Amino acid sequence: MSLHDESRILIVDDVNTMRMQIKELLKTFGFQHLHTVANGEEAKIELAKNPYNLVLADWHMEPGDGMNLLKHVRQDPSLKNLAFVMITAESTKERVLEAIKGGVDDYLIKPLTRAQIETKVYSVLLKRRSE
Amino acid sequence: MSKPTNQDVKIREFVQELSGFAKTAEETLSTIESDLEGKKQLFSVFSDRMVAIRGTAKQLNLEDIAKIAGLGEEIAIKGTSAATRPQIRKCVGSLWDALTTVKYLLEHHGEETGEEQGILINRLENTLNAFGGARPTVSEDEIEKLLKARGNN
Repeated sequence: MSLHDESRILIVDDVNTMRMQIKELLKTFGFQHLHTVANGEEAKIELAKNPYNLVLADWHMEPGDGMNLLKHVRQDPSLKNLAFVMITAESTKERVLEAIKGGVDDYLIKPLTRAQIETKVYSVLLKRRSE
Repeated sequence: MSKPTNQDVKIREFVQELSGFAKTAEETLSTIESDLEGKKQLFSVFSDRMVAIRGTAKQLNLEDIAKIAGLGEEIAIKGTSAATRPQIRKCVGSLWDALTTVKYLLEHHGEETGEEQGILINRLENTLNAFGGARPTVSEDEIEKLLKARGNN
């Protein structure tokens, strides 16, 4: 099965415009199993219901921000193989280090370019698949 | 009349969506104003909304909005640790200016940025500098290095 067929990706952002933009981009790469939710709490419910390979999450959302979601994912043994990429406008060193310490697989700063998201998504998914 | 492009449609949706964010920011500022010292932690709510506006505005190439939202975000961060009432009041005043301008630009996107916006940006930058300037940020390359450094530990 190809990476596009087997990968299930959850996009979490409180701005609908961003969610749709990321989803459209991923569709053009060939990914088929894409789901979007508007905040961390909705993401937790979705992750409990369906299996995913990758979460692309914004940082600042309510209820349940991206860091809170990351901690939840890293503390849940059933989600241990889930890749997590933070996508945010937050680019202070303090915040980046906080996310790295929290266990993100990668960290992307908005605005996202097509090339950037393509490189990061494939690299994270391939790395997780080889583990 | 020409057919709206995909980008026009996205910007229109964003403007509608962000008016809700701007409303939250507006209510937050009103609450802080009612109790300057007691409610200054709410500056972080304002800052969070500005991050959301900045991120999406950048994604849609709305640079003026992103710039002012970014300045609002940083001034709001300074507000959470402002030590005196005059400092808090200064932050609130600047943030009202920033918010009003962001709202105006959202409603009138596509128009040329006026001289007034240029003056406002200058004023917000001066306010931010008076509070010690913006927080240092990291580049994509530095993030890459930090991620690699974690992998080596």
